[in-house]
Amino acid sequence: MLGPWVEKYRPQTLDDVVGQKHIVSRLKQYVEEGSMPNLMFTGPAGVGKTTSALALVKSILGEYWRQNFLELNASDARGIETVRTNIKNFCRLKPVGAPFRIIFLDEVDNMTKDAQHALRREMEMYTKTASFILSCNYSSKIIDPIQSRCAIFRFTPIKAEEIADRLKYIAEAEGCQYEDEAITTIVNFAEGDMRKSVNMLQSAASTGSITEDHVFEVVSKAKPQEIKKMVNAALMGDFMKSRDILREVMIMQGTSGEDMVNQIYQDVSSRVMNGQMDGDIYMNLIGAIAETDFRIREGANPRIQLEALLAKFL
Amino acid sequence: MLWTDKYRPKSFDDVVGNVKQKAIIQKWVEKWKNGEPQPPLLLIGPAGTGKTTIAHIIADEFSEYIELNASDKRSHDLLMTTIGESANTYSLFGNNRKLIIMDEVDGIHGTNDRGGTKALNKIIKESKQPIVMMANDFYSNKLTTIKKNAQVIKMDKIKSPSINKYLRDVVLKNEEINVDKDVLMKLSKRSSGDLRSAVNTLQALVENGGELTEEALDSTSQKDNTSTIFDTVTRVLKSKNPEHVKRSLFENNEDPTLVMEYIAENIPREYESNREVQKAYEMISQADLYFGRTRSSQYYGYWKYASDFMGVGVSVSKRDTYRKFSKVVSPMAFSMMGRTRGKRALRDQIASKMEEKMHVSLQVAYTIFPYFEIMFENDEVAWEISDFLELEDDEIKFFRKKKIPKSVINKMEKVKAEMREEEKEEWRKTIKDGIFREIPPQELENNEPDFIEEEIDDIDSHKNSTVIDIFDDFDDAELDEIANEYSLSNGPKSKLRKKKSSDDKSEEDKKDKKEEQLDKGQTTLFSF
Repeated sequence: MLGPWVEKYRPQTLDDVVGQKHIVSRLKQYVEEGSMPNLMFTGPAGVGKTTSALALVKSILGEYWRQNFLELNASDARGIETVRTNIKNFCRLKPVGAPFRIIFLDEVDNMTKDAQHALRREMEMYTKTASFILSCNYSSKIIDPIQSRCAIFRFTPIKAEEIADRLKYIAEAEGCQYEDEAITTIVNFAEGDMRKSVNMLQSAASTGSITEDHVFEVVSKAKPQEIKKMVNAALMGDFMKSRDILREVMIMQGTSGEDMVNQIYQDVSSRVMNGQMDGDIYMNLIGAIAETDFRIREGANPRIQLEALLAKFL
Repeated sequence: MLWTDKYRPKSFDDVVGNVKQKAIIQKWVEKWKNGEPQPPLLLIGPAGTGKTTIAHIIADEFSEYIELNASDKRSHDLLMTTIGESANTYSLFGNNRKLIIMDEVDGIHGTNDRGGTKALNKIIKESKQPIVMMANDFYSNKLTTIKKNAQVIKMDKIKSPSINKYLRDVVLKNEEINVDKDVLMKLSKRSSGDLRSAVNTLQALVENGGELTEEALDSTSQKDNTSTIFDTVTRVLKSKNPEHVKRSLFENNEDPTLVMEYIAENIPREYESNREVQKAYEMISQADLYFGRTRSSQYYGYWKYASDFMGVGVSVSKRDTYRKFSKVVSPMAFSMMGRTRGKRALRDQIASKMEEKMHVSLQVAYTIFPYFEIMFENDEVAWEISDFLELEDDEIKFFRKKKIPKSVINKMEKVKAEMREEEKEEWRKTIKDGIFREIPPQELENNEPDFIEEEIDDIDSHKNSTVIDIFDDFDDAELDEIANEYSLSNGPKSKLRKKKSSDDKSEEDKKDKKEEQLDKGQTTLFSF
């Protein structure tokens, strides 16, 4: 198979899943028993939630996993009604060639509370025919009734050596030469995120070879310069320019409010690390960023909140 | 230069409308000049009816004047020291009087202008100098005492024919601009008696070669008779009077979150100091927070706080009111969304292909875009990924400007075909190995069953299977046939399909077990 390496080298079996040893061994037990409760996978991006879910599904449902598996995105723009209809239609049919059916719901934490309550009712209605695997970044955003119906597994960032080994394995399988420093650099930038690591590896490889220089090039290209420009403009007092960039990034690139807050934090943080900013000023900004983060998670409009944050930088 | 300044009337004759009022005012001026002190003048009327213009014409008649407006802090002390003194001081040279002009006297309010109204009343009573005051709201209770001690002149709205004539014969003639007569009349009517607004709108539309069309007119923020979002935004940004601001928001029937977007958009366009923008935006942030809380709690009682934050909160975030004309702009974020709809649709189309083939949400797909952009610089990788995601030409263009060269496409298609052959070969081996467990290899070599080829063609549906047991697909008759053909003994059927038959039995057990587990409703928490 050709294509994105993240898909090409996605582990197909639980044994191949990188990291998360304790979780994997528990999941294997479910396979042995041939049954599973509802599960909830929580943890940051790129640590193996979807991969583990898919591997589990394949092992536990056997050859006919495709027919008995439904993958849905809970934060689907088409809304909870679509999600519910899909679940209903899927669960009405009896499992074929497998003991039960599995529904994998991604990004459950982006569902509203109301939608979560609706989901909870669906979960109860079909306990006999289907099991749910829910995936989310923050379990705190999931209502208690759902949490209490699931076995919760907390995925942690993947360890540096584990990522490095996997990257080397992929590079070798692709017949690509690589510098050890390049791998180290990728691992440092990826912060335990396997998807990001593999994307960086393939990006570097696509520019010719996996060298440290190419990795740096990838990092600087893939990291949007707009954030830096936006923060610069605000710090220089040009609010209108800064606000325009913010809107451009959020609307055109579809960057989420939470990602924006994160990137702004990274940018400001790197300024103080490079000695470009006083500690006092830095802490004022951090206070404002933290408050914005909180307000967004509390359900405010991310764009408005970020515009107000930029005004604080003036 | 603002046309409202450029063409501001310099004499009473030039002032448009309010003929009777002008006569009274002129008489008032004459009497002062003849040494007969007169009670203060209080000009009350809506915006754009000539109050400020008249005050300045009066000022020209006197040797000196000082001016205070609503934006100045009117604490007791300030009023006493600035106005109080000059009101009681005679100029050394005989009849020379010092005119005092005070704008927006109905804007004096409670806490901010502690004692302001009281001081003003005192000055009005004691002053030996001519005073001209302006106010908007005839019925404001702040004017009750002032009205008793002043000569009240009620300024009327300017009739639209007068506005039309002025725009045509003074402004446009001077600027040497021709416009459509009907549209100009429409503009005059729409200004609802506000000459300043009419001139401003005209300037915004036709200066620098713009054409006055009905569409252009519709797109302006010009106030009309129905209270609009533009009125509210203007009020919030221009006024510091909480009463006016609150009323304006109250009377506005638009979706309050939309009003908030409008106010936010225009804050940096009106407020010039960064401190003000910062303060005002914090108010917007608070308002937004309470809208969010309303949504999540469905408790609409929170709305009133949101409304105060975005209204009064923003209005008092400025130190002074600005005396300038700023066009109210509709939220750019909205127009950007409209303008970029096509591009965003394309982006989402790609993201949903990724969602399907790469098991990622749209949000995660977006984060992969920058890497794709880098990868797509490489022709071959670009082809690989496009092929994998089944991207169309316009979707490929999203990541790279150039088309993928034909030669690369041909080459890669060949590579893909070869790889597929290899995959099939491997699959064939896997299948045969599976069968060899049951059927002696030497038997198979001479007489290879047809189903092997069929299974190989069916490679895609098996690719990700962890259990390869092709006999599961066969029914009993078929299995009997195979068993006969290869003369298998010892219960060939059950042997060939051992997995499935054992499944049948245990299936019920498993189900029961699973339900039991779920019924207990036990929660297991694994934290690693």
